Formats: sequence, C-alpha cells, structure tokens
Amino acid sequence: MNVALKNITKQEWFNPFIGVLFIFLLCILFSPTGSEGTIIFLKFENFANIFRQFSEIGIISIGMTLVIITSGIDLSVGSVLALSATVTAFGIMDWQLGLFATIFLVLAIGVICGLLSGVVITFGKLQPFIVTLAMMTGARGFALYVADNNSRNIGFGIGGAPESFRIFTDMWIGIPVPVYIFIAVVVLFNFIVTRTKYGRHIYSVGSNEQAAHLAGLNVGLIKIVTYIFCGALTALAGIIHSAQLLQGNPNDGVGFELDAIAAVVIGGTSLMGGKGNIIGTFCGVLMIGLLSNILGLHGIQKDFQLMLKGLIIVAAVLFQNNSHILKNLTTKK
Amino acid sequence: MLEFQEIEKSFSGIPVLKGVGFEAEQGKVTALVGENGAGKSTLMKILAGIYQDYKGRILLEGREIRPRNPRQAKVLGVSIIHQELNLIPVLSIAENLFLGSEPLTRMGFIDYNKMFDDAKEILGTFRFPYDAKTKIQELDVCWQQIVEIARAFSEDSKVVVLDEPTSALTDQEIDVLFTKIKVLKEKNKIIIFISHRLNEIFSISDDIVVLRDGIFIDKNKSSFISKSELISQMTGKNSFVVNSYRTKRTTKKKSIEIKNLEYNVSKNLLVTIPELTLDQGDILGVAGVMGSGKSDLLRVLFGLPGSEYSCRLKVGDQAFSPNSPRNSLKNGVFYLTNNRKEEGIFPQLDLVQNTTISILDKLASAVINKRREKTVVRDVLREYNVNFLSEDTPIQNLSGGNQQKVLLSRGALANPRLLLLDEPTRGIDVGAKEEIYNLLERLSKKGVTMIISSSEIPELLRISNKIIVMAHGKVVMQKSTIDTDEEEILKHCFMVN
Repeated sequence: MNVALKNITKQEWFNPFIGVLFIFLLCILFSPTGSEGTIIFLKFENFANIFRQFSEIGIISIGMTLVIITSGIDLSVGSVLALSATVTAFGIMDWQLGLFATIFLVLAIGVICGLLSGVVITFGKLQPFIVTLAMMTGARGFALYVADNNSRNIGFGIGGAPESFRIFTDMWIGIPVPVYIFIAVVVLFNFIVTRTKYGRHIYSVGSNEQAAHLAGLNVGLIKIVTYIFCGALTALAGIIHSAQLLQGNPNDGVGFELDAIAAVVIGGTSLMGGKGNIIGTFCGVLMIGLLSNILGLHGIQKDFQLMLKGLIIVAAVLFQNNSHILKNLTTKK
Repeated sequence: MLEFQEIEKSFSGIPVLKGVGFEAEQGKVTALVGENGAGKSTLMKILAGIYQDYKGRILLEGREIRPRNPRQAKVLGVSIIHQELNLIPVLSIAENLFLGSEPLTRMGFIDYNKMFDDAKEILGTFRFPYDAKTKIQELDVCWQQIVEIARAFSEDSKVVVLDEPTSALTDQEIDVLFTKIKVLKEKNKIIIFISHRLNEIFSISDDIVVLRDGIFIDKNKSSFISKSELISQMTGKNSFVVNSYRTKRTTKKKSIEIKNLEYNVSKNLLVTIPELTLDQGDILGVAGVMGSGKSDLLRVLFGLPGSEYSCRLKVGDQAFSPNSPRNSLKNGVFYLTNNRKEEGIFPQLDLVQNTTISILDKLASAVINKRREKTVVRDVLREYNVNFLSEDTPIQNLSGGNQQKVLLSRGALANPRLLLLDEPTRGIDVGAKEEIYNLLERLSKKGVTMIISSSEIPELLRISNKIIVMAHGKVVMQKSTIDTDEEEILKHCFMVN
C-alpha cells in the first residue's frame, strides 16, 4: 500500500466513510427500477429528498458531536427543537415579528437553553445526563405553554407569514435550501473542530478533564460554549422543521436526541469523549438516511425500518470498535 | 508459618520485586520496612490476591497458596488492611464489617439484628463512639481506618496484614490498635506490620524484615538492632549516592519567594511554610514520607485546591496568590503531576495536541496553524529525546518514560520561571530516569527554578542543590545538598532523633 493511501486509512473518518460507501452500493443493488429501467435510487430528486429529510437531524447531530466529544450528552435536543419550531410559528404568525426577528428570537432561545444546561452542569457539578434530562422535560413543557397545548399552523398571505419565509422550503439549483444549510454547518464546524483552539480544547476536556484543568484550560467555559453551540444548532433545525411542515407543533421531535446520538456514534465518536469528528457524524447521518430511503422506496413499513435501524447501529459500532481485528485479518492474508 | 519464596513481580517490564524470600512466624509481629518503592505494598497485594501474575511461591503452614483474587485470599485465611481505605461510604459500619460474610436468617435473608449486635460487640472492644448503624461517610478518616482494622480483626484469619494502619490515627487510637495486635499475638496469628514510623515498629514488632529495591536485605530481631543500623539497611550504605550535584551557580538572583503558606490537607495534616526563598536556577528537593505534605505543597503552589487557603507567591517581580492552574500558568508556574495517567496525559490525543495544550494562546489567536505547530512540537520533542515514530501517535501508545518527556516538553514550551515536579521519575526505568535528570539540569541552567518532590532520596541528592525535609506538614530540615546525606535526610523523614 502506498503511503498516501495508508494515511487516508488512518484517518478517523475513514471507517464511517467506508460504511457510507458500502451502504450506497447496497442501495444501488437493491433499488427498485423505474419503467424505463432507470435506477430510482440514483435519481437526482431522490438524493435531494434524502438530504432534505435528514438535514434537520444532521444539523442537530453536529451539535451533539461537539457535546459528546467533551464526554457529555445532550438529551434536550428533541424538546428544544419542538420549542424552537413552536416559537417560529408563533413569531411568524401571531406576533408578526417578521423573518429576521423570528430567526433571531428562536436562535436566542436555543442559546439560552444550552447556556442553562452548561452552567448547571459546570457550576452545579452535575452529570450532563441528568441536567439535560431536566432541560428535555422543561423545554417540552415551555413549548406546550407557549402553544397552549395546540400546534400552530403557518399560512401565507395577509395576516400570515411573509413570503420570505419560503426560503426554507425553496429550491436552489434543484436542491432544497435546508441541504445547503446542513452542508454549510458541516463545513463550518469541521473547520472549528479541526482548526481552532476551541476545537482542540473540547477534545482535551473530553479526553481528560482533570489534565485539561491542570494544563490551564478554562474547562467550565469550554463546556458551556459547547452546550450553547448544541442549543443554537438545534434551534436552527427547529426553524427548518417548522418551515417544512408549515406548523409549529410542541409535541414534535420526540426521540430526536436518540437519532442524533445514533448518528454520532455510528460516525465513530466515542461516548467516553476525546475521540470523534464532524465528517464521521456526517457519514453517520448519511448512512441512516440512505437506509431509511431505500427501505421507504420499497414500501417497507416503519416497524421493520426501526428493527433494521437498531441492527445497523449495533453493527456499525461493532465494526468500528473491532476494526483492528479486520485489519489484522487483511494484513495476514 | 507464612513463607515467601523467590517472589518476582514486574510492572510493564520494570521489576519491582526481584526474588524476595522470608518467613513470618506464628504468634509474632513481623514488621516489613523499606523506603518508598522498596516493594512492600506490592508484596502484600500479591498475598491479597490483587496481583496474580508473579513468579515464586507463597507457603502458608507448609502448603502453597496462590490466591487468584481477594475473595480467595480471604477464604485461605489472609486478611489485609490496605493503605487506601476500602470501605463503602453509603453503607453502615455494620454492613461494612460484614460485607461478603453477612449473617443470614434461615430464609436466606440478611439477619440484620444479629449483624448489628455482633457489630456492636466488635466496636465495643475498639472503644468506638459511634452506633453500628452510622454510615461510613459520616465518619472521620481516622475512625474509618479503625472500622477497616476492626473488619480485618473480626475475620477469623490466620494471617493479618496491616499496611500503614497508623497513618491517620492519633496516639490514643494507636494504643488501642496495639493492644488488639497483642491479643492477636496471643491467639497465635501471623501478623505482618508495615509502617514508616520506626518508633512504632520497635514498640510492636518481634522481627523486622528489610526490603530495598525489590530485594530482601535482612531479617532482624527487633531487640538486637538499633534504629540507625536499620536505616542503613534500608538505604544500603554502599549505595549512598555521593552528591553528584556540583555545578556552581553564578547567578544569585532571588527568583521565588513563598510566604505564609498554610493549607489544611485533612483534619490531621496542616501544611505550613512561613517563608522560603529560592534563587534563579535553584533546584529544591523536597523529601518526606507519604502523608508528610510534600505533594500537597506543590499542589498548593500551583493553585490546585482553589482559593480556600492562604499563600503568597512571588515569581520574579510578580506577586500573586495561586488560586487556579490557569492563573499560576499565566504567572510562570508549571506543575508536572505525579499522576501522569489521571492528571497529565490526554490518552487518545496525539503528541502534538498533548505538547502544545498549555501554549495554544501563544501559538494561535483562534485558528491554529498546524504546520507551524508541528515544527514547534517536532523541535521540542527532539530536544527532549522523546522516542517517537510520528507526531500523530496517540500518547497512550508511548512508554511511561516517553510520556513523561512529552509532559516535560509541554512544560518547557510554557516557558515557566518556576517548575513544580511531583515524583518526576515515578514508574520510569533507570535509563530514562537519567535522561530526565539531564533535561532538568539543562532547564535549570537556562534559569528555571524548580521544586521537586520525590520519595527517592538518591534522586533528590542527584539533581537538587537544596533540600528540605517535610514531616507532618512542616519543614524539619533545610540544607544545601552538599552539606547533607541520605542517612540524615531519612532520619528527619522518620523523625528519629
């Protein structure tokens, strides 16, 4: 094997990347064919669809990746998404704040949720699991309070949403705008994580918090910033969510935290902290997305989809954690 | 009779016990003495079934025993009071006393009435002021230690090992303990007693076994040997290191001033240093036994315990109160921990990340220039003789010595004026040790002042030019290295006068 290739296989995102490739090939193989013998899976519209469906969970997963790298967890993302979607609908419709003020308000809510979790975790010296569990419950309650237990539909026209709100559902060169947002988030945070001081710090805190403290890092601040990023990204996903469904439903987003954690873990990020990367998570999101898509194309029902998803999560993580066994096998031959 | 035959044990290639053999007789107290790292605790952990992969044989009453786990050791009749407390804080005293051997009712449930009654009886013999239902976490450390002792005594075992049982006890409690030990003697048990306090050793033991560097040195009748004879056995007169520290300093610039240091480590240990000044390039060695406060001194100077104590530190012209590592680093103080794994390295991260973590602020504004960072790291790692294939290796794949050199490189990059090192060569083989000494000397020539705490006195004699000895949190000796020797330092450590 030449050196360049060897270096690529050493990269942390290599395994998830191979996973995506593998599933991609499977999808082509098992794709239903159209009337003229075209492979439906490979159609451009189908891809756009996959990305659009998974841009929400993808954006959340990026925030979740940051948190998990610091060896934390954020269970509140599903509820914060519901709260964000609800506030978006009310901001646009009832409060008539206009597009920018609404976006600003919703992002601020996401930031505050993250800030609260981070501050309590840091200064209360509590487990992230417990604190974000509380945030999960609280944010859901607040969403229901804002919406008065009902979902709020978004309509256009006089007294409704401004036309500019369509930006989240528009296409640009045949690709839905949320997909661009997702890609932009991936690129931005990949840069932040791999190139900036903050990125270096989250790995250090996750790898050995005490050593990070002794090395002079402001561990508390680093954690708080991380939960703020996660909250803000979730709020962004919430705005997209409400725009796509044209409603703000305080009961949405249940179980999103688990989907996001699954994508992060499939992407090779360790729940123990200190290890993982954004590209891996991107691959994890794609893997889940491709699988759901191909199963959907075949009209397979949700029950089987869920069972398969469970299987895939275990298989992916087993494959990653034991990849040295595979490597040993291949080098021996 | 308990017999050790040719016991050998090594940790990741570093031999700790190199063929230790001796006998401990029934109805006698056999004291086990030696400097830190002589192998006493390791030997006892083998006996307790904590380490199973050793060479050699242990015979109890003529039959070989090879405990595979602590539970089996207990069944074989060995009970051990470890240095570290092994109690479960949320359970009551009684539950801890009978952990693993709870009295049962006929139905198979725990017979709490019997348990509490029995516990009460045991506690009574120790003049214990608490109810058996009190939770462990509500007790002071010294009472916890007594519970630990009571637990070992309540088991009807053939061998009782006490590994530094008195470190947290007051004199009265030690008296109680000693009367209990005498009862055990009358019951014809085998008792092994480990302590750093020579006075205690002479008052309770019959035989004294000396270990040094993992080797059995001698077994003495305690009535036939003097304290100073014992100390020379422990250190090995021939191996007395002549002070190799000969470099004359030209600079006599006052660099470090410590004032009014006062820190409560625990209820029984208050570390106090009224005043201490060091010149630029000085290497101050701090000697002392475990629990003397020598490690705590360094942690206080680095601001690790937070701000709930008083200390003024003057580094160069800057005076400040160390209250956090971040603040101390800013003021030119760097601390190298004695607990590399828990507090030093970032195991999964690569060498670059491990080296530059403390100087990222100097190296980059927000975005890191990776190429420049890599050259900096490559240079410093070469300078510090780190043996590495690639900077991308996770640090956990390196040997202990190389890890330590990486941490030292981290410290050197931080460009400190005061470098605090706690056990800088712990768990490192001899060759790498010498390299680290040379690196430290080079740093000292560059004008870095250092305070080194070490349990290996030859090490302190080798690298430091000033030495202080701490005991019970106080400085009991302060001298130039040239004016002292190992024997004198040890005497002060053990407070023999």
